[in-house]
Amino acid sequence: MAVLDRAPRGSRPLVRGSHAPPSGSRRRPFTVRRGLGLLAFLTPALVFVLVFTYYPLLRGSQMAFRQWNLFDLRNTPWVGLANFRTLLANPTFYAVLEHSAVWVVGSIVPQLLIGFGLALLLRRRFRFRGVYQALVFFPWAVSGFLIGILFRWMFNGEFGVVNDLLMRAGLIETNVAWLADPRLAMFSVVVANVWYGVTFFAIMILAALQSVPDELLEAGALDGAGKVRTLFFIVIPFIRTTLLLTVLLRIIWVFNFPEIIYGMTGGGPAEQTHIVTSWMITYTQQGDYGLASALGLIVVGVLVLFTSFYLLALRERDAR
Amino acid sequence: MKRRSFLLGAAGLATASVSGLAGCGGSSSGSGGSAGGDVTLQMVESLTNPARSQVLKKLLADFEAANPGIKVQLVSPPTEQADQKIQQMLQAGNGVDVLEVRDLTVGPFANNGWLYDMTDDVQKWAGFSDLTAQAQKYAKHSDGKIYFVPYGFYGLSLFYRKDLVTEAGFSGPPKTWDELLEQAAKIQDPSRNRYGYAFRGGKNGNGNVVAAIEAYVGDSIDRENAFKIKSGQSIFAAPEAQAAVDTYFDLFKRASPPSSVAWGYPEMVEGFNNGSTAFLLQDPEVIATVSASKSITTDQWTTAPLLTGPSGKAAQPVATAGWGVAKASKNAAAAVKLVEFLSGDASTTFAKENSLVPIKKTAGKDAFYTTGPWASYVTMTENPDTYLTVVQPRGVSWWTEWSTKSDTQVQQVLIGKLSTTDLLKSWDAYWTEKWKG
Repeated sequence: MAVLDRAPRGSRPLVRGSHAPPSGSRRRPFTVRRGLGLLAFLTPALVFVLVFTYYPLLRGSQMAFRQWNLFDLRNTPWVGLANFRTLLANPTFYAVLEHSAVWVVGSIVPQLLIGFGLALLLRRRFRFRGVYQALVFFPWAVSGFLIGILFRWMFNGEFGVVNDLLMRAGLIETNVAWLADPRLAMFSVVVANVWYGVTFFAIMILAALQSVPDELLEAGALDGAGKVRTLFFIVIPFIRTTLLLTVLLRIIWVFNFPEIIYGMTGGGPAEQTHIVTSWMITYTQQGDYGLASALGLIVVGVLVLFTSFYLLALRERDAR
Repeated sequence: MKRRSFLLGAAGLATASVSGLAGCGGSSSGSGGSAGGDVTLQMVESLTNPARSQVLKKLLADFEAANPGIKVQLVSPPTEQADQKIQQMLQAGNGVDVLEVRDLTVGPFANNGWLYDMTDDVQKWAGFSDLTAQAQKYAKHSDGKIYFVPYGFYGLSLFYRKDLVTEAGFSGPPKTWDELLEQAAKIQDPSRNRYGYAFRGGKNGNGNVVAAIEAYVGDSIDRENAFKIKSGQSIFAAPEAQAAVDTYFDLFKRASPPSSVAWGYPEMVEGFNNGSTAFLLQDPEVIATVSASKSITTDQWTTAPLLTGPSGKAAQPVATAGWGVAKASKNAAAAVKLVEFLSGDASTTFAKENSLVPIKKTAGKDAFYTTGPWASYVTMTENPDTYLTVVQPRGVSWWTEWSTKSDTQVQQVLIGKLSTTDLLKSWDAYWTEKWKG
């Protein structure tokens, strides 16, 4: 990755104004011929994205405005906004949004902190660093659904290893029914997701850390900055863009990541661990692609709104 | 600004996949067809597992040997996605000749016009009269047509630990739901990690609640629609239903592991298999699993017939699946031939290997079925007035919706968010409204 060798795009320049393009740089004039040439190069990528991303998106979108049940495909009338009204009238929808917020915040904050710590440790050179890195990054290669099933057994109240370890450590005296209590069940799925997602942060932050120039760190040391000051006043500001981008991407991904929940609790007990996308799966299982698609569009709307606010807030901060 | 556009684009693409997940319709693989005069049939199974697929492949090899000129290509999608995959293939109108049709899918598939009507072919087939009355009955859909021939039946029996029952001072297994509650509660001892009943609180947990209610309304149940009593009301509105659900949920409170709120099929079977629970209500395929257990020996457990209610009757909600032919198949004659082959002697091999109640009349006399854990199924078959065979409305298009809703509500009762009275009211209202259309 190029980011390993140089500062990430958009990082604050070491010297103010160093990003400014050289004055008087020549630009080739835009002609129709040049435009057609560029279009020819772009076409394969555009076709790919249109066919594999936007076509399914449009197919899904039109289902949202129809009664579309796989078990009754002879009867798929247009129903306007009825699917959206059905969802908005369902109290579970609001509960599921709340669970999604808990799921995202509860997962991402520990993932970021632990991932940052791991990246700092792995940045140092030591024997078998490659082996440690491989071990840390391994969970990212495992399917989320499989992780859900593994953690389902680990958190099993009677046969699970979690209770066994806690009991041996003297922390509990009787079995804890992790997946039977709504709050404990949400805690358990978040723990599984933290374990899974730490790796992504570690990878991204390690790459960003490796882009911090040694000269900068040496300059800080010469000026008398200790480790903590170096971290907060040199390293973090330098990799700030990567951090913010990683957090944004993770928020979108975790919001859209039902696999662990689906494998671990199926959204239970009594829908208390359903997030929006795991709830959507139940509609597809029922064959009700109309409601599932309407829910999918709502998710798109929520995430686009969130992303816009997030970026606007960043721009405000930058402006200040 | 560029960065912002990039981020928005990234967010847009990431979220687009969400709708894509719901919106992806299906394309399909190519259809089976003729090659050099030979017919190649595409066969798709639904309840896939590796061992079962091997058995099926052996039977298909026998079929190919007996029918030169017909080849069969078996497609085995993962179980979780199989029915959706089959739906996509049927919708596309190619890629499938013979398919596994379940009692859950026959209604929707037939309703969408995807299944070939085998009625005329089956009437000409001599082997149909060799099938049990149950198999012949379940082959006929509610519209009187034959869309599939069952390959076997699933049915509940009570798996129990003989040693623990004796140790608790009982002379034999429970015969009624009340006796089950009594025995399971006495055996329960969490301090020794020993529990009475492997309660199903998770996925498909509604099934056992309904089984209990059906046993309690045994005198008045409509056997052709086991969610109704003869007066036309739903079973959930019957006066006996309240006692049934109270007894059933008492099993959780007094005799089950607390974490069984979340137990689905794997946890229940594991609980019995590893020796920590004494009773398990399950289908016969579990016989093979428990027989291979390293924690309990074969002389420690067996099965007993389904539990009866105060009426002295139990209702066996039979579940089945079988082989059908796609309406769009270009090789329907060869496909029907394959279905008939698999429904003949091959069906007994398939049933034995997969722990199913067989469809052939002669199979019931086989020593395999008359001894050991299978004996309870023979007992139930020989006493049809006590163990009523009933038809649940599993083919309706809203069955999966019902299953999801009722499972959620079962868990709500278990975590104290819903009373059993409100549960019954809700279930009664749901079905009454659906039947009104």
